[in-house]
Amino acid sequence: MKRIFDTQLIGPFAAMVIVALIVALTTERFLNPGNLSNLSLQVSIVALIAIGSTIVIFAAGIDLSSGSMVALLTMILAQMLKFVGIPLVLALPLILLMGGLLGLFIGLITAYGRIPSFITTLAALIAFRGLALTFNNGSPIFSLDPALEPIFYGKLFGVPMPFFYLVFFYVLAAFTMNFTKLGREIYAVGGNPAAAVLTGINVRKVQTTTFVIAGFMTAVGAILMSARLNSGSPNYGQTLELQAIAAAVVGGASLAGGRGNILATLMGAMTIVIVQNGLNLNAAPSSVQNIVLGLIILLAVGIDMWRAEISGLMGRMFGRPSSQQSSNVKKEA
Amino acid sequence: MTPATPLWEFVDITKAYPGVLANDKVCIRLMPGSIHGLLGENGCGKSTMIKTLSGVQQPDSGQILHNGKPVTISDPQAARELGIATVFQEFSIVPTLSVGENIFLGNMPRSRFGVIDWTKVHNEAARVLAEMDVDVSPETITGSLSVGEQQLVEIAKAVAMDARMIILDEPTAALGEDEIERLHQLLRKMRERGTAILYVSHRLDEVERIVDEVTILRNGCVVRASGETKINVSEIVSAMVGEDIGEHYPKEQNAAKDIVLEAAGLATNSGVKDVSFSLHRGEVLGLGGVLGSGRTEIARALFGTDELTAGQISLNGKPVRFRREIDAIRAGLALVPENRKFDGLFFNFRASGNVTAASLGGLSRFGVLNLKAEEQATHDLIRDLEISTQAEEKTVNFLSGGNQQKIVIARWLFSASDILILDEPTQGIDIGAKIAVYKLINRLTRAGKSIILISSDHDELLAMSDRIAVVQHGTIARTVDAHDLTHDDLVRASADTPQSKPKEAFA
Repeated sequence: MKRIFDTQLIGPFAAMVIVALIVALTTERFLNPGNLSNLSLQVSIVALIAIGSTIVIFAAGIDLSSGSMVALLTMILAQMLKFVGIPLVLALPLILLMGGLLGLFIGLITAYGRIPSFITTLAALIAFRGLALTFNNGSPIFSLDPALEPIFYGKLFGVPMPFFYLVFFYVLAAFTMNFTKLGREIYAVGGNPAAAVLTGINVRKVQTTTFVIAGFMTAVGAILMSARLNSGSPNYGQTLELQAIAAAVVGGASLAGGRGNILATLMGAMTIVIVQNGLNLNAAPSSVQNIVLGLIILLAVGIDMWRAEISGLMGRMFGRPSSQQSSNVKKEA
Repeated sequence: MTPATPLWEFVDITKAYPGVLANDKVCIRLMPGSIHGLLGENGCGKSTMIKTLSGVQQPDSGQILHNGKPVTISDPQAARELGIATVFQEFSIVPTLSVGENIFLGNMPRSRFGVIDWTKVHNEAARVLAEMDVDVSPETITGSLSVGEQQLVEIAKAVAMDARMIILDEPTAALGEDEIERLHQLLRKMRERGTAILYVSHRLDEVERIVDEVTILRNGCVVRASGETKINVSEIVSAMVGEDIGEHYPKEQNAAKDIVLEAAGLATNSGVKDVSFSLHRGEVLGLGGVLGSGRTEIARALFGTDELTAGQISLNGKPVRFRREIDAIRAGLALVPENRKFDGLFFNFRASGNVTAASLGGLSRFGVLNLKAEEQATHDLIRDLEISTQAEEKTVNFLSGGNQQKIVIARWLFSASDILILDEPTQGIDIGAKIAVYKLINRLTRAGKSIILISSDHDELLAMSDRIAVVQHGTIARTVDAHDLTHDDLVRASADTPQSKPKEAFA
């Protein structure tokens, strides 16, 4: 247990609490039950997609395709429900399957075609948006199915449904990353792919798997997006991929791969959404919101890069020896 | 022959890092026209001293005298201006630039209009190279040269700036025997011209050959100043380690009669051709040969990394075929790669993740890892192999080279491999850790495991192998009993065919 709730969580958790405190103190309506429940709805889609984005990052890849894939999948779902007449109980598993297959496709091209994931998913980012426009002459499709909305807006014991999805998928992801062979292999591939090859890990298969997971989680996000608006649109999910990556980075995942904690991504996503919420409640224009989001990402990565200096500074301030090691001068028997 | 005034004198240099006193009143005196060895185990404070000498960092206290006058070396630029050139372990050449450009990097001769004077660059570079007896054109792209030639380019930079003192940090770590000899010739030549040379190396046999005086550090202090010790390997080793370490190469004979691995006519596209040999149970088979002779490629062929284009591998008499590394691992093979930093270690893991990386299948049930068993096994291996206990809590980048190497070997102890291929297992680790690796080899062979040992350290190879296969141009020229071979034999045997460009076949 101590490994999941390790020191990697302290930073992102502290950041989230500090941001929440600042917003709570400066904004009256922030702590309203209505607003808090709204917050959990807002965070759910980006936080669920960020699970996949983070796992791809753990394996030293990057997934830029999720936002466009959301648009494509909402359009396919809308098409199926409205025009093809496939029942909802069948359409939803099909969408999840399709998300996984799109991820598989990206993963295979990336891992076996040896094309950097930045390029394959950038291409997918552009192409999926285009594909989404081929449905219904590029127009949104509304009023899909009355049974769709409760998936997002429904409540169980007074708690919004997305809360349960978050708990379910984050527990599953944390379990996978910390307790399973697959999780270990993902970290190994991200940490040192050359060493992973020599220890018999099937690096390409592992890389492909991370994209399948990402595609599946994007499909989950797409279903929630459709349910939220009871519609499909080729314009949905714009910059969602960047918000998901930002959540991972604010959560402390190293873009170089191999390091990070999946639960921290949830905190990263919450931090971002709380800031956005605070700005919304204070009627800040979206231009300001984007600028602030950019600064948060910069700060999060900066803190990570300057960690050694910061801890050295803290050590001097509070009289604690620095955690920075000088292994080259220390005699180790 | 040595003049009375030293060129450089470093007096009572002290430098502390948080929690560690890295240099404690270290004094070094460097004479013009003398090669001075700075020796000591990893962590003794050599690197700290080099950083101070080259202006990378400032000492906390102490005095630096240049020709008897006090100076400060405020930064690397100041060091250069004072005539100090440092050749660091990691090269600072740019592989995509030409040799001439590299030699004058940061200091390009310019014409009147401020543009680079290419004629001058090439002429000057050619002059420096000729002076050094290095047969390389200034227009060659540096990355296409062999590692040894790149090292010489690095030194040419120092010559071009007319350095009066050159610091060489592990200059031979990546060099073959003939390249080392070439480097040494060059250093002797520079010594004759009055250059002071500070030579830092783990390869004590070559230190014995080249240096005029030594300073030995231990735990940040000078334990033998210049002139206080004879320059001979066993005296240097006991001064470095601080105790009589006994036998430097504690070889045990554990080879049995039965053959565990047989290779017949192996060939690959990476240059291995017609390689045949057999490996007995409990045997250490040494692969000797110059850098680039194909030893590493043979290891890759055995391990399923490079596809065989011909030949057959048999284990315990049964023919096998490895499509990938995992097939070889499942069959009981293990590869400890040449460069533990590049393809051995996972720096994002603690010892446990590194130890179990090759055995995740056996450690898990239905895909779920048994973390308790992992921690227990790691704990036991850390104790058994005397690895720093920090490895249990910290990621392995915090460990010394010796500890890191033990962890890579521990991986294959945990996976219960029967045949271990050790590619340069003692490169860049200190003498105490080397002996620990040798003892580990004994322990493995005693337990009936077999070892293929690749090493560029000829003394080590001769002492620790039962038989030695001499590799030339990707094939095994001959196999002989190790005790029928002397150091000179091995050097000659591995070098007797023309090998001006051994890189070519494998580039």
